[in-house]
Amino acid sequence: MRSLLSLLLLIVPSVLVSAADYHEQLNLRPLPLSALLASFNFRANTSLADFEAHNFRLFPRSLGQILQYAGTRELHLRFTLGRWDAESWGTRPWDGTREGGTGVELWAWLDAETDEEADEKWLTLTNALSGLFCASLNFIDGTRTIRPVLSFQPEGDHPNSTLQSTRLLHGVLPHEVVCTENLTPFLKMLPCKGKAGIASLLDGHKLFDASFQSMAIDVRPICPSEGECVLQLEQTVDMVLDVDRSKRPHDNPIPRPPPGHDLICDTTKPYHQPGDACYPVDHLRGQDWTLSQIFGRTMKGTCPLTDAEVPPVCVHIPPTRDIFASEGAHEIKYSDNDSMRCYQINQDQEFTLILTNAESTADGEARPLGIVKPETPVLYAERSFTGHGQEHGGMQAILTNPGDDPVEFVYMESLPWFMRVYLHTLSARISASSPNVNTSSADIIKEIYYRPALDRARGTQLELLVSIPPHCTVFLTYDFEKSILRYTEYPPDANRGFDVAAAVITTLEPKVMNIRTTSLLLYLPTPDFSMPYNVIIFTSTTIALAFGGLYNILVRRMVGANEVPRAAFKDKVLGFIEKLKKKRAAVSAAAASAGGSVRPAVSNTEAK
Amino acid sequence: MPRLLSTALSLRRDPRLLKIPPYVSALCIAIGVVWLLLLPLDNYSRRTYVSENALLPGQVHTYFGGSEQHIFRAFRHEVDLLASKNNYEVNDKLETILTGFGVKVGRQNYTYHSAGETYSGENVYGILQAPRGDATEAIVLVAAWKSIDEQLNRNGVALVLTLARYFKRWSLWSKDIILLLPPDSKTGTQAWVDAYHDAHDSEYIAPLPLKSGALQGALAIDYPHEERYHELHIIYDGTNGQLPNLDLINSIVNIAGGQMGIETTVQQMTGHTDSYHDRLQTMLRGMLYQGLGYPTGPHSSFIPYHVDAVTLQPTGQGWHDEMAMGRVVEGSFRSLNNLLEHLHQSFFFYLLMQKNRFVSIGTYLPSAMLLAANFTIMAIFLWVKSGQPIETGASDESKERKLLSPLALVATCHAISAIPLFVFNHLDIKTLPLAFGIFSTLSTALPAVFSLAVASLHKPTLQYFQLTKSFSLLILGVSLATLSTLNFSLAFLVGLLASPLTFLQPTNTQATRWVFVALLILTSPPAVISTAAYASGLTMSDVLKAASFGWNVWGMYTPVVIWCVWWPAWLIGATNTLIPAFQM
Repeated sequence: MRSLLSLLLLIVPSVLVSAADYHEQLNLRPLPLSALLASFNFRANTSLADFEAHNFRLFPRSLGQILQYAGTRELHLRFTLGRWDAESWGTRPWDGTREGGTGVELWAWLDAETDEEADEKWLTLTNALSGLFCASLNFIDGTRTIRPVLSFQPEGDHPNSTLQSTRLLHGVLPHEVVCTENLTPFLKMLPCKGKAGIASLLDGHKLFDASFQSMAIDVRPICPSEGECVLQLEQTVDMVLDVDRSKRPHDNPIPRPPPGHDLICDTTKPYHQPGDACYPVDHLRGQDWTLSQIFGRTMKGTCPLTDAEVPPVCVHIPPTRDIFASEGAHEIKYSDNDSMRCYQINQDQEFTLILTNAESTADGEARPLGIVKPETPVLYAERSFTGHGQEHGGMQAILTNPGDDPVEFVYMESLPWFMRVYLHTLSARISASSPNVNTSSADIIKEIYYRPALDRARGTQLELLVSIPPHCTVFLTYDFEKSILRYTEYPPDANRGFDVAAAVITTLEPKVMNIRTTSLLLYLPTPDFSMPYNVIIFTSTTIALAFGGLYNILVRRMVGANEVPRAAFKDKVLGFIEKLKKKRAAVSAAAASAGGSVRPAVSNTEAK
Repeated sequence: MPRLLSTALSLRRDPRLLKIPPYVSALCIAIGVVWLLLLPLDNYSRRTYVSENALLPGQVHTYFGGSEQHIFRAFRHEVDLLASKNNYEVNDKLETILTGFGVKVGRQNYTYHSAGETYSGENVYGILQAPRGDATEAIVLVAAWKSIDEQLNRNGVALVLTLARYFKRWSLWSKDIILLLPPDSKTGTQAWVDAYHDAHDSEYIAPLPLKSGALQGALAIDYPHEERYHELHIIYDGTNGQLPNLDLINSIVNIAGGQMGIETTVQQMTGHTDSYHDRLQTMLRGMLYQGLGYPTGPHSSFIPYHVDAVTLQPTGQGWHDEMAMGRVVEGSFRSLNNLLEHLHQSFFFYLLMQKNRFVSIGTYLPSAMLLAANFTIMAIFLWVKSGQPIETGASDESKERKLLSPLALVATCHAISAIPLFVFNHLDIKTLPLAFGIFSTLSTALPAVFSLAVASLHKPTLQYFQLTKSFSLLILGVSLATLSTLNFSLAFLVGLLASPLTFLQPTNTQATRWVFVALLILTSPPAVISTAAYASGLTMSDVLKAASFGWNVWGMYTPVVIWCVWWPAWLIGATNTLIPAFQM
């Protein structure tokens, strides 16, 4: 927590946590090729006393009441679409702590003495949030809920006594498609409702056309060392825009081939001939954009409620690049970080930024062109299914540590019950990029926390404490069996497959970070729900019936009642009696020959 | 009802009943063949239709064209410059081009060994990540460096590179697009698909460094054709006669024909007039490819993994250019991109007799089933006959059938069938034709040896003959009936070629026996293979090499059917025919 706070302080240098305040900030960070990361951050503090007195000011009442009703101490809600391309974009924004797996992810600490009480409150919470955010959160039932043990730690300051009586529950909906209907309630919770300030840049069309976007809502109590405790609501939107795509006009978004003379060609090629052959080099061109181009609208001043100390817009770009801001804006440069520039904006003046093309580096060699080089992440994670067929499958997670320090992390999977994990097949294989590293695969997995699935009741929870030496790659693999569902349990799009939620990786050493893998699509054995299937079933039944009858007629021996040899039953009974009689005679004969040896034994048992 | 029952019961004891089965068998064969010949008629085949509504083929505007042509020409120049380079140099350049677009690139080395030859190469592939996707699904675009006819796939590779750059600009992709550029049309895709599903032999084939989600479909471009083309040849046969979902073919026919005005054709039937003759020819060609189970293009390797795939091959002289081909691919990819579920709605078992006419399994299956049934009927008939006492004499013989020696012969014949299977798939190319020659001779001589051995061991009775033939035909019938649901054409062809075995029997007349022997030698597996090779203008060593390659690289099971189902049945039939006069 402390490290997170200090991190926040780093990014927003002149901010101090104070009671009942609000601030917002947009960080723009050009990434390689035509990607641009835009991080929106909105933070509102309300004192805990006000909150408990139902005195909502900056805190949205709709959410506040839900939290109070469901006894929620801390809440984290994530809506994510797309994937973060760590290889080219580097470390994740906020170190991955403000993003979820694809779809919707929710985790919360609830006031509950027992698990049953926690489940009840969880049900209330998910259903209420489902209505508030127009998401299918109510589908987070027992089968999708887990209780993480190692992975999540509370971010807020909780007294130990309350922490004792809270329960952490975590649910995920990998198949939920995040869209504009989730953005609208998100914006409504802001004090300026997307009408002013940086939130006025958030347009559904652009946000959901982004290559990666993550909306996060975090509610946590913060208790500074002096002063009263506050409840902090932090809303974050991270999006990676494709600048080329965003710059297309709103009314003509189709990427038609440009006119031939607009192509950027490599003129050094021997075959180059305008209007005939053109080897494209447009990817070598740097980014140039204006704020209104990429977001489709201009920024309408600042939110009047925001803390005037915090500059609303910051750009992370090398100092050599030229940026022009609209009139009235004031540029702030920082001595400790020369690749960051922030802008103070007049409250009711429209604001835009213009980033010009880095013409000076047109020699084509100086790549990356005029952007701050992305930081190498602590860990790369990739996960995929192995095997094929409808009966068995395997999971493989490839975790690479590119750095010089060993990385320790918790790998958590929340798997659906119909994916039956064979934990005994769990294995960790290590391969080093340099041969002199000690690669014993025995002590990679340090701890396993495993809660097996119950059919139709709960999913599998698997948490592994793993440590990877520097410059090594670990392959975690395990096998599973695909179960056959009841035919009513298949969704309408049964042949699509079932989404398996992303694995959550929480690094502990060298720093606390979150990484999520992509979600996966699991094919289960699916009956053919089509008309031919029904026809086959019906014809098979008919044939079986007809065959049964015919076979019976042909094979059964039919005899008239008067031809049957009589008294068969009587003979049998007589024969049985005869046999009994014979046996008795034999037994008595034996007893007679053995003298009294049998009788004492009998009387003995009677005496007992 | 009682009257019916009593009639049925009285019929059961009728001696005439036992005379019927051989005729029924013959009738089954005749009906089976006639059935097949009826299929091309309008009343038995159907027009194709797009069953999966999500595909919406040809419903979108395609924009590929215009200045993309300049880029296409540039890439074609690049391909030309690489024509004389080796696999690795080619891949280096392709990797540079793909990385430039922001496509993630992976490479994979592989080595295959077959018939003493080594096939090695390196695949290069790129994953164009769906801008808003989450790597759960992917579609594949393949252009092998060498086309199916071993030419430089000059336009195909350039087109894939141009399309990759063009596709990158769209944000509507819901599935990742994988661009696969294998060095050849035979081994590369197989190694890649195997590794993608972790079904590869890690000793010879490297794992893939990059992966995406579940593959939903694949399209291969085979475009060495230089001039402007007239029609698009859709190659759809997969390994072991498995076929892609009919909806994929329908969509492409629809997009190419309906939207782009490009004629499409299947099974190399250019100038199809939709007459009975042309339809039958198309169907029989399709059956031949399916029966051989031999992959027909780079797409074939995908199909065993339930990934629907076809190869598109522009042919003929016309006025369509590369951009039109690109738009067909764009349209097809937009259709595949629309899919919410895996292609499952339409047929997986069909025979095409025109680009838009097909028969489904329900209609064609009876013909192969009848052929298989003919063996089973005969086998049951012989079993019943063998249990009946012979009226003429030998009443001292016990009523029990003597099963040991017939079973021993059948088991021996099936056991030694593993020898040709092993030999032809493990020898190297230099010794293969010689081995085949020796094997053909042995195979011809073996029935005579066996019959002499049987005759010398014990006096062959009629029952012995009936039981051996019964067991042999029973196995053949069961195997073919099962096979017909997996690979209809192979079952039909083998059934037809083995049908004389139903009617062969030992005779005491010398002339009949020689006729039988001649017939047997003509329909023996080695003779049929040699004839087929001669008819198609191939040398025996080509055929054997291809068969061995199919087995070792593609996992083709056709050799198993030929050597372990058909050949032992033939061997037993021939042995029986040659057994000298048995005791009547």
